[in-house]
Amino acid sequence: MRLNTASEVISMSREMETAGSSFYRELATAYPEAGEQFLAFAKENEKFIAQIKRAYYSVISDALEGGFAFDLDPEPYRLKLEMVPGISLKEGLKKALELEAKMVAFYEDGAEQSMSLMADVPRAFKKVAQKREQRQAVLKGMAPE
Amino acid sequence: MAILEEPIKNITSVQNYINDEWVDSKGRILDVVNPLNNQVIGKVPVSTREELDEAVQAAQDAFPDWRSTPPPARARYLFQLKELLEENFEELSRIQTQEHGKTIDESRGETRRGIENVEVACGIASLQMGEHLENIATGMDEYLVRTPLGVFGIIGPFNFPFMIPLWSAPYAVATGNTVVIKPSSEVPFSQMKLAELVEEAGFPPGVWNVVNGGREVVNGMIEHPRIKGLTFVGSTPVAKTIYEGCGKTQKRVIAQGGAKNFMVIMPDCDVRRTIAALFTSFFGNTGQRCLAGANLIIVGEDDKFYRNFMDQTVALAKKMVIGNGLDESVQMGPIRDKAKKENVLKFIESGMEEGAKVLLDGRNVKIKDDYPDTCFIGPTIFENVELDMRIAREEIFGPVMSVMRVKNLDEAIKICNESNFGNGDAIFTASGNSARQFRFEVESGNVGINVGIVAPMAFFPFSGMKDSFYGVLHTQGKDAIRFFTESKVVIERWF
Repeated sequence: MRLNTASEVISMSREMETAGSSFYRELATAYPEAGEQFLAFAKENEKFIAQIKRAYYSVISDALEGGFAFDLDPEPYRLKLEMVPGISLKEGLKKALELEAKMVAFYEDGAEQSMSLMADVPRAFKKVAQKREQRQAVLKGMAPE
Repeated sequence: MAILEEPIKNITSVQNYINDEWVDSKGRILDVVNPLNNQVIGKVPVSTREELDEAVQAAQDAFPDWRSTPPPARARYLFQLKELLEENFEELSRIQTQEHGKTIDESRGETRRGIENVEVACGIASLQMGEHLENIATGMDEYLVRTPLGVFGIIGPFNFPFMIPLWSAPYAVATGNTVVIKPSSEVPFSQMKLAELVEEAGFPPGVWNVVNGGREVVNGMIEHPRIKGLTFVGSTPVAKTIYEGCGKTQKRVIAQGGAKNFMVIMPDCDVRRTIAALFTSFFGNTGQRCLAGANLIIVGEDDKFYRNFMDQTVALAKKMVIGNGLDESVQMGPIRDKAKKENVLKFIESGMEEGAKVLLDGRNVKIKDDYPDTCFIGPTIFENVELDMRIAREEIFGPVMSVMRVKNLDEAIKICNESNFGNGDAIFTASGNSARQFRFEVESGNVGINVGIVAPMAFFPFSGMKDSFYGVLHTQGKDAIRFFTESKVVIERWF
């Protein structure tokens, strides 16, 4: 079922960020040599949740198209983040990059759909997508030789 | 997506809040019904005239001390209230959905809009400043101070149970007045929650009072010699009665009435975003708002554009998710109660009888999940609507779109201006020239350009013209500061 309301898109964003945060915490435990960076990503995910929540709750108004701002198919963005015991750092990083690519696409899609209908929400989405693009570069740089 | 938890879990009895105490009324008791399933969720009293007198007396007794409290100190109570409102944002929003039926996005929007008025009133030390001209003649100065008047009555409607009393109350108390609020007896819970937060914020006893009830309380407010003024939002006939009544009893008044708003579509508009905006306008709050779109005017003789626009509109309306407002995927909730639903149904029947063509009939709408005894009506769209039809002239207060076509913008504006109402008209266009002409010529208190719900932010007045508004000054912003204060002019010289 497609997502149309701001409330359900914001909830989906929160769920994805929370799942992503847990995933990075697991990576941090599994690979202590890169633990600091993974924990930083986990904490940043929590900041993203707060930023998006703030944008939504600050701008949501009876005058904006909260119920009609999106037409988003959630299926392409479903995350599969279960950690297989014993996977290598390389495989872990590959999973992380897949996660980030989905998140960037989710936020860009959401921003495009709600542009000029939800005021500050698409702006917050775009900012988070940009941060995640930077994160992808960091993840690629962490790959073992 | 999840269905959010209901905040009202048991049948809750509403009390009056008078002089910082929660008191039972001796009046008869009415049921408060959740429109989703018609289940009783509460009991509300119809307070007596004596109980109103007690509240007014408490407000009157509190006034001298409160008006002597410095404005920055009064503002600190409001800052405290603002903090509490933020902490309770989600609960307040869910209460509105449960008592009214609107979707959770709409309720959160209402909560935000209400809080914005508290935020603006927090700036009272700047807002209430007067004016000063030094040396009007040699050795003489003149200045103006804005001084509070006393007790004000605030009468809330059913469609925005939390927000609309906040268009007035924060400004009234910030300027040093005291208030008695009468919420709609159909939806009293969000005002009860608000009063609990006022109590927690520590406002002095008697500054903020709530008396539940109906016509008896309203008439009592109009006639009460100690009430200095009233604000009201509701239907035009009642707004008119209150305006006239306040004239007879020498009270100042803001009386906001009904509407029949026009949305004008130019052929150069951004179709996708315009339709999204129209859906919020026509079907948001299930059409139960004085700024709701009612008549859709499509400009131009391009049949292809018209057909494409209407096909897309109808197709999207058919896909709307209708159901429990606490379900995050739901885009439209029920009508507030069965009587109001019946009224909307009569309008739909009259549209058919008068010859309008039904493009979408919302009478037997499919509802998400199972709510058998309900107040739902789906989006209903008529085309070939003529101006003399009831559906084009009268306020329906439901999710009904009446579509008409005109040749050009001049004709569209003429139709808008022929309406008895003048609350919120909008144009959708990519042309600055068309937008400018519309903005300049249309007789409407709130004008939208590519905006379907023309709801002014708290720092602007909520305007209105013709039968949509009786009074001079408006709720919200600087107008509210003027309304709740008297101008005292001092001419001064020293020997």
